Amino acid sequence: MLDRYQRNSHFLQQVNPTLKLASLLMVIFFMVMVFDPLTPLILLMITIAGVSILGGISLRFLLMILLPFSVFAFSFIWINVVFPDERGETILFTIGGLAVAKENLMVGLSLGLRSLVFASWSLLFVLTTEPTKLMLSLIQHCKLPPRFGYGMMAAYRFLPLFRQELKQVRAAHRIRGLGEAWGLGARLTETKRYMIPLMASAIRKAERVAIAMESKGFDGSRDRSFYYVVPWTRNDAAYAVGLGVLYGGLVLLRAQSGG
Amino acid sequence: MKSPTKLNLREIVVMASISVVFGVLYLGWIFLGQIVQGVTGPVGHGLMTGFWIMASIVCAYIIRKPGVALIAEMIAAGTEILVGSVSAGSVLILGFTQGLGAELALALFLYRSYRLPVLMLSGMFGTLANFITIYFMYGYSQYSSVITGAMLGAMLLSGAFLAGWGSKAIADSLSRTGVLDNFTLGKVRRQQRMEKNALSQD
Repeated sequence: MLDRYQRNSHFLQQVNPTLKLASLLMVIFFMVMVFDPLTPLILLMITIAGVSILGGISLRFLLMILLPFSVFAFSFIWINVVFPDERGETILFTIGGLAVAKENLMVGLSLGLRSLVFASWSLLFVLTTEPTKLMLSLIQHCKLPPRFGYGMMAAYRFLPLFRQELKQVRAAHRIRGLGEAWGLGARLTETKRYMIPLMASAIRKAERVAIAMESKGFDGSRDRSFYYVVPWTRNDAAYAVGLGVLYGGLVLLRAQSGG
Repeated sequence: MKSPTKLNLREIVVMASISVVFGVLYLGWIFLGQIVQGVTGPVGHGLMTGFWIMASIVCAYIIRKPGVALIAEMIAAGTEILVGSVSAGSVLILGFTQGLGAELALALFLYRSYRLPVLMLSGMFGTLANFITIYFMYGYSQYSSVITGAMLGAMLLSGAFLAGWGSKAIADSLSRTGVLDNFTLGKVRRQQRMEKNALSQD
């Protein structure tokens, strides 16, 4: 599923991963200064629309991911109502003797929406970026040392193997009569039991891969050739201009409404 | 082992694979954490934060070179992004600050001491950095100081025990399996064993 979205040829998938990563950090720094609910709401709508139109990702799929996340977002609202920094003056209504002030509700709403904005931009990045392309882009444009870049890619390739390994360890434990865990406490001790064998085999595999890489002449130096080059294209310029317009518009809007 | 402080490829790949494992575990933990935060608020969540510093401390304790804590945490954060996390942006910044915090504590001891109190301090620095980051990122300044104080306390506790003590326990049991014999931790352990044997023979 993830794979299919990352590989299709819509606009967002063509943008250089480095630039997308920068835009992801940008939105966080922008939102840190915002405490009204309107700005994050507008930004959230624009982002969701943008991801689904420019990234070719179905709206239903996006909302399905964001829905469980809103439980987390909701916590900001109730905590701000129950434990505010300073209680607001406009009391809307009271629940069991607790006065709910409009100001606190608004700030809580803003913080909740803020976390949803972060989530939507994260989805923009994650759903449209191929892992390999990201690493190559970081090596080629961000001066990430190839030793780290390729080392990480190698380790990342182990992930499917880990799943297989976990199955094996589980089967081995079961055949020795350790049985299956029921309930949360048993699950936790079970995880502890799986962790050490899994990590031990991960370390062994990693050592072997490193030796193989070195024996094939990988020395981690910067002057090397690349089979895949991640270029800067016109799409990147368009994306950058789009970001400029988006943030310019938001700043203008905030200045107009006096917030 | 050309230079004593530069990381070689073997150490990088091993560190990366440990961090990748933790990155995947972190993802599950984030999911759990968000539910806990939704229900119990930031204090209950604070008790869980130490877990996110583990990659740093496990790797630093095993490899014992400058920079390992920070890089390991960044790789774990990177994994979460590659696998597809809903919190990619915050994870990236948090990974950096958490790693930096943990690294700082180890740097204070000039990367010479890796005893339990130092690791616990490192975990606490990591969660402290975590606290400062989310304080600004998620606007916790809007809450009463009682709740942010309780949250900080919970996080520091979690940093000391979950991150410091827990990581040491994991790394030590890994070293007992023998896979770490080529790394600093394994060598230190072997040295200790040999000294002990020499003593018992006398």
